Amino acid sequence: MSSYLFKRIFTMIITIFGVSVLVFIIIHLIPGNPVNHILGDFATEESIKELEMRLGLDRPILVQYFSYMFQAFQGDLGTSYITGYTVVEEILNRIPITAQLALYSIIFGSITGIIIGVIAAVKKNTIYDQLAMVLALIGISAPGFWIALFLILLFSYQLNIFPISGYDGFYSLILPSITLGLGTAGSIARMTRSSMLDVIKQDYIRTARAKGAGTYRLIFRHSLQNAIIPVVTLIGMQFGYLMAGAVVTETVFALPGLGSLIVSAISTRDIPTVQGLLLFMAAMIIIVNFVIDLLYTKLDPRIQYE
Amino acid sequence: MNRKRYVIFIALIVFMLIVSGCNRSKDSGVNKGNDREIVVGLVSEPDSVDIHRTSSTGEANIPLYDTLLKQDNDGNIVPNLITDYEVIGDGKEVIFNLKEDAVFHSGKPVNAEAVKLSFERLVSSSPFSTNAGDIDSIEVLSDYSFKITWKDQFAPFFINATTPFLAPLDVSVLNAKGEGFEKNPSGSGPLKLVKVNRGDSLVYEPYKNFDWRGQPGFDSVKFRFIPDEETRILEFKKGNVHVLLDVPYQYIEDLEKDSEVTIKRVQSDTLSYLGWNNKQPIFQDVKVRQAIALAIDRESIIQNTLNGEAQAVFGPLPKTVFGYSEKIETMAREKYTRDIEAAKKLLSEAGWNETNKDGVVMKDGKEFSVDLWVDDDPANQRAAQVIQNQLMEIGMKITISVKEAATIIEQTPKGAHEMLLWSYGWPDADVLNFLLFGKDKSKRLHYENEKIYSILDKAAIEMKQDARSKLYEEAQEMLVEESPFIPLYVKENVTAIRNFESFEIHPINNTIDWPSVKVSK
Repeated sequence: MSSYLFKRIFTMIITIFGVSVLVFIIIHLIPGNPVNHILGDFATEESIKELEMRLGLDRPILVQYFSYMFQAFQGDLGTSYITGYTVVEEILNRIPITAQLALYSIIFGSITGIIIGVIAAVKKNTIYDQLAMVLALIGISAPGFWIALFLILLFSYQLNIFPISGYDGFYSLILPSITLGLGTAGSIARMTRSSMLDVIKQDYIRTARAKGAGTYRLIFRHSLQNAIIPVVTLIGMQFGYLMAGAVVTETVFALPGLGSLIVSAISTRDIPTVQGLLLFMAAMIIIVNFVIDLLYTKLDPRIQYE
Repeated sequence: MNRKRYVIFIALIVFMLIVSGCNRSKDSGVNKGNDREIVVGLVSEPDSVDIHRTSSTGEANIPLYDTLLKQDNDGNIVPNLITDYEVIGDGKEVIFNLKEDAVFHSGKPVNAEAVKLSFERLVSSSPFSTNAGDIDSIEVLSDYSFKITWKDQFAPFFINATTPFLAPLDVSVLNAKGEGFEKNPSGSGPLKLVKVNRGDSLVYEPYKNFDWRGQPGFDSVKFRFIPDEETRILEFKKGNVHVLLDVPYQYIEDLEKDSEVTIKRVQSDTLSYLGWNNKQPIFQDVKVRQAIALAIDRESIIQNTLNGEAQAVFGPLPKTVFGYSEKIETMAREKYTRDIEAAKKLLSEAGWNETNKDGVVMKDGKEFSVDLWVDDDPANQRAAQVIQNQLMEIGMKITISVKEAATIIEQTPKGAHEMLLWSYGWPDADVLNFLLFGKDKSKRLHYENEKIYSILDKAAIEMKQDARSKLYEEAQEMLVEESPFIPLYVKENVTAIRNFESFEIHPINNTIDWPSVKVSK
């Protein structure tokens, strides 16, 4: 187990390093730079050069990269060129909202998806199965901004149950979580269904049934528990999609999370903020997937990491 | 840990996270319905409240500052933080006398020493120091009197001093590095910053030492940043937002039907224009440039893309800008009112003729085909499509390329574009010099004309306003004739308000006049 852990942690570090190189290359390849944004129409050749010097943008690209990474390994992700706040400060300010949003979406998506998937598998080829799969398809294919507006119009504007926008605790995150979690629910439902159908065909299910196991025990104890591993893998992978989906959801619901920060940072070419945020998000996704890999051993004792 | 305890442990963590999220934060963006609190809904958060580090100024950071001079409702420059000023000799030296009762939000007086320190920070570390001119020295003459000496006369200073860029800020609140203003700001404007909720809102209160012309008509102002158009409108309709800035044009009619809503329209000082890279060979012939001008129907663009919420402009400067001339506007209107036949004739004289009957004119075997850059604003994209159709009528083939604003801002000074739909906004005609047509300063139009350079340079150092106006009139007359760009329109800034006894917006600089604002009882 310890050699496995060592290998995985080493791979994680290499992956984060690779992400940092990619992010750095992409942000320098896209046209537009922060100096022009800051100076706006007042830019003169001298003021551009002076500001580039002050921000360290006049240094060779490799020097900029290694200096950035050196500081990043010490926990300093730099200071925003645009706002004057440190990137760590910005992340700490906004991570609670995005973390809650991701957590609630995962909870909503997983519970809804698993329930729908189980119903579809157990009631295979019935109207329930077809209905469940149509719902899953809607969840996957409906655009986030459309679902968000629909939910706002119905539950906030007409029925006055939830706030329209802004962050005001758990209550204000219910609609955004549903918006973000619907896609996850759809994917999980489809995976649960197919995984359950595989398991249901197995001999040990027939044996359990022959031994008189009740329906509830048969579904949740014998089938779902054995079908859950690919679903858990999918939940881990969904974390990355949730981070991307948060960009749209946070914009529509005016939530001051990491998603809305990255949108404004990209539009102003705020290099330290974009780099810091992408590195942070990549690290989060890698860590979540690592934790999920470790969870396998708890969910299925047959799995052992040598 | 057995499996049951493991599940309970995870469930407990999830429960604690949910419970922690259940606490409604005191300063969240959601309106709690305080009768004397004003919630202003706007699209985006300013980059910074430190006016020495950002060009992103707007309603959310301007009220922090009071300016040395201001424009009255007719556009005249009048004293504000100063009582008067005296231009010495040839105009390189000006003595300013400050009011003695102005106080920064920190409680410190706005005296000559404080203003000097603010200007010194601007000159030494701000990328916007060009707005103050080439300052040689600032001398404190007494507690409330100071003298600025420039290396050369700088006539635009007086109008620039009406903008927040030159407003004094209190440098005593800065840290040892001369930074940290965004966390501890202190200006002398009508609103004092109370709380910064990054990405969500800025909360202000009326500053008690400001001249409110009586008592402030509200207790606090919250600027909420709501990027999505539909969400912003719904928040306003629901009554959670009381002032909605920059109402999208498609919603105005709907909002006007609501008897509780008042719509305020103020002509913007930002001129939208169709420009091009004048260094490109295709635009070298003045007849081609004039033909483009004659092919454009501004009213059609305004009606089809902005629901009629804009005013057509033909001359290089809009009405609210110092240097505007009614004579030039009339002249340009007469010269360039749409005339397709005249445009085709000019093109033909320039050698561009339709030869292969596909509707596109050609010269020396080459089609008239150019790429038009436009940003991602939907109204601008619609305007680009109308322009594309209008120019096709005279045989010009236009391809539209939608680009991010950041890309356009970076690429156009390098001359990477052919044609662009863009805008400028500045209260003084010196914008013709520092942004549009000055020598080595024509950032997006790349127009070269020694005679215009010379007139604009003279105007920048001419201290007599009448003589300065005349110089700008002369420059504009040449620009109308040369047609190096096509002014199109100034949009109406539309603001929707509800539940106010009084609420005024300055007709020239478009900012909310906070002393006039009173919420309904």
